[in-house]
Amino acid sequence: MSVLPRRILKETQRLMQEPVPGISAKPDEGNARYFHVKVTGPEDSPFEGGLFKLELFLPEDYPMSAPKVRFITKIYHPNIDRLGRICLDILKDKWSPALQIRTVLLSIQALLSAPNPDDPLANDVAELWKVNEIEAIRNAKEWTRMYATEN
Amino acid sequence: MGAFHCKSCQNGDNVSNIFSQDVGERRRFIFGRRRSRSGSVRQTDSLVLQTLSIIKNLGLIENGTEAPEALQKLHWVADDGDGWIQVVLSMIHVIPLDDPLSPALITVILDDCPLPDKDTVMKLSQMLDLSNKTPKRKTVDQHRNICVILGILADKLPGPLSIALLTKDTLTYLFNNMDLQVHPSIILFSLIALEKFAQIRENRFTIETFMKTGPLAMLSIFERLTGSDQPFYAQVGFCAEWLLDNIFVDDQRTLSYLNISMDGVNAILNQEDASEYLKLGPSGLEARCDACSFESVRCTFQINKGTWYYEVTILTSGVMQIGWSTRNSKFVNHEGYGIGDDEYSVAYDGCRQLVWHGARCTSCVSGRPWREGDTVGCLLQVEKPSPTATFYLNGQIVAFNDKIFQYAKTEFFAAASFMTFQQSRFNFGSKPFKYPPKGVKFSIMNDHGQLDEKEKKILPKQMRLGLLGLLGKQTADEDSCTICFDHKADVMLYPCKHEGYCENCAQQLTLCPVCRQLIDRFQEIIPTTASTIVLVS
Repeated sequence: MSVLPRRILKETQRLMQEPVPGISAKPDEGNARYFHVKVTGPEDSPFEGGLFKLELFLPEDYPMSAPKVRFITKIYHPNIDRLGRICLDILKDKWSPALQIRTVLLSIQALLSAPNPDDPLANDVAELWKVNEIEAIRNAKEWTRMYATEN
Repeated sequence: MGAFHCKSCQNGDNVSNIFSQDVGERRRFIFGRRRSRSGSVRQTDSLVLQTLSIIKNLGLIENGTEAPEALQKLHWVADDGDGWIQVVLSMIHVIPLDDPLSPALITVILDDCPLPDKDTVMKLSQMLDLSNKTPKRKTVDQHRNICVILGILADKLPGPLSIALLTKDTLTYLFNNMDLQVHPSIILFSLIALEKFAQIRENRFTIETFMKTGPLAMLSIFERLTGSDQPFYAQVGFCAEWLLDNIFVDDQRTLSYLNISMDGVNAILNQEDASEYLKLGPSGLEARCDACSFESVRCTFQINKGTWYYEVTILTSGVMQIGWSTRNSKFVNHEGYGIGDDEYSVAYDGCRQLVWHGARCTSCVSGRPWREGDTVGCLLQVEKPSPTATFYLNGQIVAFNDKIFQYAKTEFFAAASFMTFQQSRFNFGSKPFKYPPKGVKFSIMNDHGQLDEKEKKILPKQMRLGLLGLLGKQTADEDSCTICFDHKADVMLYPCKHEGYCENCAQQLTLCPVCRQLIDRFQEIIPTTASTIVLVS
């Protein structure tokens, strides 16, 4: 494996020195392009109280292409599917090399605060979110309690 | 504050309603401050002084807590260019020289206020009238404040603005201050301003060219003041030496770490265990902070048991936290956490007369605020029956704390943290103590410590970073490509005209990373001046 690009070094360094509140991202000991991420569920969202694990991988041509991010913890969210894949424009066609690991994780945190059932990835979840938001939120809370809480 | 929601109301009457408090009839009309605005000028003056007294009483404003009302009002005033200038002029006029927190106050206010645009900066520069041939019109306080403000702006403003602010007048002004006839605090803050300006490569070149005409010799004279018994001159000496060792390095001059004798010195401040912006003198026994953060350092010597004592000569009387810490204590310099701000450390702050432990403070049992030149004594008794950390000011007990021993029993280090523009000199026992505690048997770190030759060498920071391979990272920040950080950012994208990228990265882009506009071409930016200069760092 080649030397880690300075861009990645710098981002890692800054993530360690000035962590984003509610988000932790640590590089894997064996692979500096692979990050273990934990995001706390935002306050006043159905995910409040939960701690969500994600994995983030920086592909070879990062930052020219977007990081690959996936939820490991199960989550009931219209824009996140069963496999943890995330529907977020900046991870796809709206990626820009001006964005960073930090901004990506912030966007994901924001997505938890503001689910967008009109641009769904998990169709059944999105459907329920549109027709019966109260029940969907109840499900999301239940999943948070079941899968994203330590005890 | 009901009237506050209406940001656009510029009507004089409304403004005076908002700022109801007044500091009395002070009318100043220098710097072209017009009579018609004197009302609101006075109110701004008053807000600056209010902020100072709030900071004094509350301590520096912590992250996350709401800013005091006076500071919020200043922010509001500084929202447009003229208002910002007004805030800056008020600071220059009313901030007293003798208050130990005043340079920190300027930092806090400028940090909180919106950043000015180029026109505003240029306008301020004109209003300061730095070319003024009769500087007597301004007081020592005002000159000192101007220098502090120039330094902070040079540090904070984006590169091109910092370059714009370093006009010929600014440069001449700073160099004219380098005169032993001038008050040492003016010399000091002129030196710091030069250092901050020189962070930008282009500025450094301008300054170096200018310096060869004479002021460089002055730096060498100031440098000899290092170690002076007079606190202000000691600071001037330290800063001049720092500039010569790190910024304006001259091949003809021997770096000071090579000149200094470290014989008999076995315990010093640990350069490997200091936060990033702390400045250590070549002796390893003097430290200073000129960054807008709370910088910390631990001693090289580890204490496991027994009773130990060391002394610190305070060269500035602002906020420092001096005491003891274990390795578990973290230096979170940007957030303002240092020694005394967690469970694993305890510190005395003689400026606010507090003892800090676990980020909580208790008042000192006696004494007065510390003054420049005072000696702080720190005694640590690890042993039972009653482990205690005791603090002395000029031999008088001012405070003690035993709570730290609930969290740590062993592996202590002498340690200290420094707020902006603070400096101290440490004695771990290589010299006789001034006020050894009476009736206490203690050990001396210098007698028990061991340092190898390498550990004793406090290399200039730039050189050390260079050896660690970190220099590229440090200097690349201001002009490196924001995508790869590997190469210099030297191209501009068209048609959007965004910059900050190197040719290599630009080639791989189809859309602008910032505005997502389609790129039809890019072109190398040719620096406006000094395009062929390569500087040795």
